[in-house]
Amino acid sequence: MPPATQLAPHRHATGLLPVPEKTSQALASRLGRKYGDRITGCFHLPGREGEYAPFPDDLPPALAAALRARGIERLYSHQAEAWAAAQRGEHTVVVTPTASGKTLCYTLPVVAAAMRKQSKALYLFPTKALAQDQVAELLELNAAGNLGVRAYTFDGDTPGDARQAVRLHGDIVVSNPDMLHQGILPHHTKWAQFFENLQYIVIDEIHSYRGVFGSHLANVLRRLKRVCAFYGAKPQFILCSATIGNPKEHAEAVIEDTVTAITRSGAPTGDKTVMLWNPPVVNPDLGLRASARSQSNRIARLAIKAGLKTLVFAQSRTMVEVLTKYLKDVFDHDPRKPPRIRAYRGGYLPNERREAERAMRAGNVDGIVSTSALELGVDIGALDVVVLNGYPGSVAATWQRVGRAGRRQQPSLGVLVASSDPLDQYLVRHPGFFEAANPEHARIAPDQPLILLDHLRCAAFELPFLRGESYGPLDPSPWLDVLAETGVLHSEGERWDWIADSYPANAVSLRSVADGNFVVVDRTDGRQKIIAEVDYSAAALTLYEGAIHMIQSVPFQVERLDWEGRKAYVTRTHVDYYTDAIDYTKLKVLDRFDGAIAGEGSCHHGEVHVVRRVSGYKKIRYYTHENIGYGPVTLPDQELHTTAVWWQLPQEVLEAAFTSRQAALDGFLGAAYALHLVASVSVMAEARDLQKAVGSGDGAWFASSDGRGRGQLRGGDGKPMDPAATDQFVPTVYLYDAYPGGIGLSEPLHQRRDELVRKARALLAACDCRAGCPACVGPVLAADETSTAPPKSLANQVLALLEPARTGSGSVPASGSGSGPGPAGRVRRGVLP
Amino acid sequence: MNATLERLRELRQQAGTVAAPAAAAAMARPCEALARVPAPRSEVPAHIRRLLGLRERLRLPQPAPALPSPASDRRVPGGEIEDGLYFVEQLTPWADVPPAIDASFGKLGTLAREHLLHFDTETTGLAGGTGTRAFMIGAADWQPEGLRLRQLTITTLTAEVAMLRHFAQWLGPDTVLVSYNGKCYDAPLLNTRYRLARLPSPLSGRPHLDLLHPSRRRWKGRWENCRLGTIERQVLGVVREDDLPGSEAPRAWLDYLRGGSARDLRRVADHNAQDLRSLAALCLHLAT
Repeated sequence: MPPATQLAPHRHATGLLPVPEKTSQALASRLGRKYGDRITGCFHLPGREGEYAPFPDDLPPALAAALRARGIERLYSHQAEAWAAAQRGEHTVVVTPTASGKTLCYTLPVVAAAMRKQSKALYLFPTKALAQDQVAELLELNAAGNLGVRAYTFDGDTPGDARQAVRLHGDIVVSNPDMLHQGILPHHTKWAQFFENLQYIVIDEIHSYRGVFGSHLANVLRRLKRVCAFYGAKPQFILCSATIGNPKEHAEAVIEDTVTAITRSGAPTGDKTVMLWNPPVVNPDLGLRASARSQSNRIARLAIKAGLKTLVFAQSRTMVEVLTKYLKDVFDHDPRKPPRIRAYRGGYLPNERREAERAMRAGNVDGIVSTSALELGVDIGALDVVVLNGYPGSVAATWQRVGRAGRRQQPSLGVLVASSDPLDQYLVRHPGFFEAANPEHARIAPDQPLILLDHLRCAAFELPFLRGESYGPLDPSPWLDVLAETGVLHSEGERWDWIADSYPANAVSLRSVADGNFVVVDRTDGRQKIIAEVDYSAAALTLYEGAIHMIQSVPFQVERLDWEGRKAYVTRTHVDYYTDAIDYTKLKVLDRFDGAIAGEGSCHHGEVHVVRRVSGYKKIRYYTHENIGYGPVTLPDQELHTTAVWWQLPQEVLEAAFTSRQAALDGFLGAAYALHLVASVSVMAEARDLQKAVGSGDGAWFASSDGRGRGQLRGGDGKPMDPAATDQFVPTVYLYDAYPGGIGLSEPLHQRRDELVRKARALLAACDCRAGCPACVGPVLAADETSTAPPKSLANQVLALLEPARTGSGSVPASGSGSGPGPAGRVRRGVLP
Repeated sequence: MNATLERLRELRQQAGTVAAPAAAAAMARPCEALARVPAPRSEVPAHIRRLLGLRERLRLPQPAPALPSPASDRRVPGGEIEDGLYFVEQLTPWADVPPAIDASFGKLGTLAREHLLHFDTETTGLAGGTGTRAFMIGAADWQPEGLRLRQLTITTLTAEVAMLRHFAQWLGPDTVLVSYNGKCYDAPLLNTRYRLARLPSPLSGRPHLDLLHPSRRRWKGRWENCRLGTIERQVLGVVREDDLPGSEAPRAWLDYLRGGSARDLRRVADHNAQDLRSLAALCLHLAT
C-alpha cells in the first residue's frame, strides 16, 4: 500500500538536531528542549525529491502552452501517469497527499478532450466552495492559453436564467452529488446534448463518500450510468482521494468497475516532524492537566513569532473563535494594520470565506484557525506548522490535517495536542498506537435495502425499467414489483413506469443534515445586515438567546431567535466571556418490531425517538475559563425519528453478577463501545451513521461517559443522578441510525445479534490491552490500567451475559498469530470473518 | 404456517405492526451483495415490503392506492386505432371565423387560420421532470365548417410512442401552435416525452402563440386569477356543467389504468375538449 508507506513514520534515530532559525525544524528543536516532558512521541517523516516527467507528446500544444504560461514546465510523475491511464481509457483513482497537484491529473485529459472532440465532463465535489475554486482555476488556465473551454458551476446557487446556458454550452460542468441527484438526473432530457457527449466524470475527495453518504453516491452513480447509457455514452471516471486504507477498493466500490490506482506521488516534500503533546499536569492531586487550548495557543504563538505560517485545527466552531481571539489579542492589537490572524469555518458568508482564502493564498495571513472545513482541498497556499487542538477522531483525518503543512522542500511540523478526552489521553500515552495505525478503510453498502429502495424510485422516475435490466449488480425486479404494489410504479409485464404525481428525489436526502439555514442579522445601531449563516444542526447549539456568537472573534450577542423564521438577531457586544451550550440526548422506544432472547437478557429492534435538547448555557470567562454563570434556553427539541436495535439485561441478573450498579453501568458503556465497533463494520457504516447510547429501558435515565471513563447517570431532565437512587435499573445498549426516518441498519443488526455479541467478545479477547483501549471497550484513564475491575472485564461480563449459550466450538480466537503490531490491526483481524 | 396465516402476517407487516421472524437470511444480504453475489430472488419481496412500510410510516406518509373494484364501465372515448391508443374526432360548428387573425398581441403578426393548431395535454401530475407524462393530447384546428377537435388517449404506457407519432403527423410545415401556458408546461413536457421515446420533437423551433401572457397583460388584477377557466367565464361567458377539475385528471386516468371505471376518464376528455374550444375562442377574442 504505497500511501501508507509514504506516510509511515520513522523514528529519528538521534533525536532532533539543531537547525537554523526561522524554520519549523528550529521550532521543533526549541519545543523539544523547552517542553520535552510534554512531548510523548515524536516521529520524523523524511522528505522526498520530486519525480518529474516531460509533457506527454499527445498533449495538445495549446494546452502545453497554457501550462507554460502559468509557470508549469513539466509534470509530476503521477500527473503523467494519470494522463497515460486516461488516454488508455481506464477508470483511474489518484491517491496523493494534499497540495501534490492532483487537479492537473484530471484537468489535462478533460481539457484536451474538450479541445479535440468537444467532449463534455462532469465534476462532482462534496462542497460548493470546492466547486467554485475549481471553476476559477479552470478559467485561469483557459485564459492563459485561450483554449476556448467553457466551465461553469451548476448548483443550488445557479440562477434559473443561467441554467439553460450551462446545459447547452458548458464543456465542464462542476456540481455536487446532491444537485446531480435532485436537479440534473430527474431532468436529464434537458441535458440530452450534454449526456450524449459526456466523456469524463471527475469525482474529487472520494474518501469523503463513506458510509451512508458513500452508499447514496454509489446509487446516484448507478442512476447516472443508466441515464448515460440511454444517450449512448459510457463515460470514464477519474477519481481523487486523500490517503485512506483502501483507496482502490473504495473507488471500485463507488463506481462498480475496475479502477487503476495511482498512489505514488511525484511531488517533492520536505521533512516532516510530528509531535504528540500532552498538556502538563497542573493539579497532581486530582490528576488535572492544563487545557489543550492553552497549549495549542502557546505553540501557535511561538510558531507565528518565529515567522512560520501556522494553521490551528479546532474541533468546534466556538473553539475556533476562542483561539482566534487569543491569537488576535497578541498579533492583531493594532486595528490600522491588516489582520495577521484569520478564522475559517462553516457558517461564514461565502464571500467572506472566499476573501479569507484569497488572503491566505497571497501569504497575507500568518495564523489561521479552522474547523475540519480546511481538511478538504481548499487552496490556502503553503504552511509551515499545523497544530491540532485535540485528536480529530481518525488516523486518516489526522494525516490529512498534518499534511496541510509543508511547502515544497521546506521542512514542516505537526503537533497533535491531546485534550482531556479519554481517547486523546490514550493516544499520547501510547504513541506506538498512533504510529502503527494504518489510515482507516472507507466502507460503503450501496445495496443497503432502504437506500436501494429510495434510489430505485428515483431511477424509475428517470427512465422506465425494462424486465431483465440490472441495477448495479442487482436484479431490481422484486423491488420494482413491490413499488408497483404501492402504486408509485405501474407494471405492464415487460416494464415498470413511474406514474405517481411526485418527485421522488426531493424526498431523499443524501446527507443526514436537515436543511434550512439560519441567518444571523446584525441589528447594532439600527442596522439590518446579514453577517452569517448557520446550518440547522448547529443553530440550537450556537444561536440561543443570550449566546455570544463570534465572527472572526468579534463577539455579538443573540437578542432574539426566530426559530420558525430561521433568523437570529444579534447586536455587537463587549463582554469578557463566551458561552457554551449544555445539551443532552435521550432516547425513547416507540415501537418494537421484533424481539428475541439474548443470553440471559433480550435483544429488540424497533422505532425510537431520539431527542436532543439544549437545556441551558454556561458563561465562560476568557483566559481563566472559570464558569461565571448559567442561562436557561428554551428551544424546540431536536427530534429524530429513527430505528434502533437494543440489548438489555434484567435487574436481578445484573444484581447477581455485579458488585455495584456503577460497575454494571461501566460494563454497559464498554459493551456499547465494543458492539458499536463490530456493528459499524458489519453493516459497512461509518461511526457517524450509527450511533450508540446507554440508557434505562424505560427512558427514565440515560448514561454517558463523564470524561474520566466512568458512567454518569442523568435523569429525564438532564440532571445528574445516583445509579443507586433509581427504583428500576435496566441499563440498555442502543445502536440507532443517525438519519431521520432511519436507513434500515437496525434490522440486519438484529438479525445478526448473536454474531455481534460473539464478535464483540472475540474482539475483547483478542485485544492485548489489559484494562481497555480505543480498539475494544474505549479508551481508559491511567487509574483504570491498574484497577482490579477495569472497564474491559466489566464489559466482558456484560457481553458474556448477553451471549447465547454456545453450541459449537469453544473460544473464538479470530485468527491466531499477529501480523501487525497496532491495536487497529487487531480490530480488523478480530472483527472481519 | 398455512397460507392464510402467511398472508395475514404479510398484511400486518405491510401495515408495519409486526416483524417477520423468518427473514433472517434475507437480512444478511447487504454484505453479500457488496461481495457481488447476486441476491437470490425468492424471499426478497416480503422483506422489502416491510421496509417499505417502515419508510412510508416514517417519512413519506402517502395513502396506499385504493384498489378499484373491477369496473364494468370501461368505455374509453373514441375508437382504438392502435393497441392502447384511442382516437376521437368531433366538429364544433362555428360561424364567422375570419380567414386570418392578427396575432400582434402575441408578437407574431398575421396568421392564416388554417395554420393554427390549438393544443392542450392532460398529464399524470405537476411534479415535472422525466417522471411526468401526458396521457391525453387534444388539438383543435379550423376547418371550413367549424372547429375540428381531435383527441388521443392512451390506456397503456407502451402506447405512448404511438400517441406521440400520431400527434407529430398533425403538425405541418406552417403550423403555429396555440396554447394556454404551453410554452412553460405542455411543450417542454412533450419535448421530454419525445426525447425519451427517441423521436424528434415536432414542437421545437416552431412558432408558438401562448395566450397566457397576453391574457395576463390584458386582464391582470381584474379577476381572482388569470386561469383559463376564469377567463373563459368572465370574457367568453362559458359555463361548464359537470366539469371535472383539471387537478382530478391524474387520478381519473390512474383509476382506469388500474382497472377502474372509465367514467371520469370520459369527463377528462370533455374537460379537455372544452379547454380547446375556449382556447380557440380566446384566440379569436384577443385578435379582435
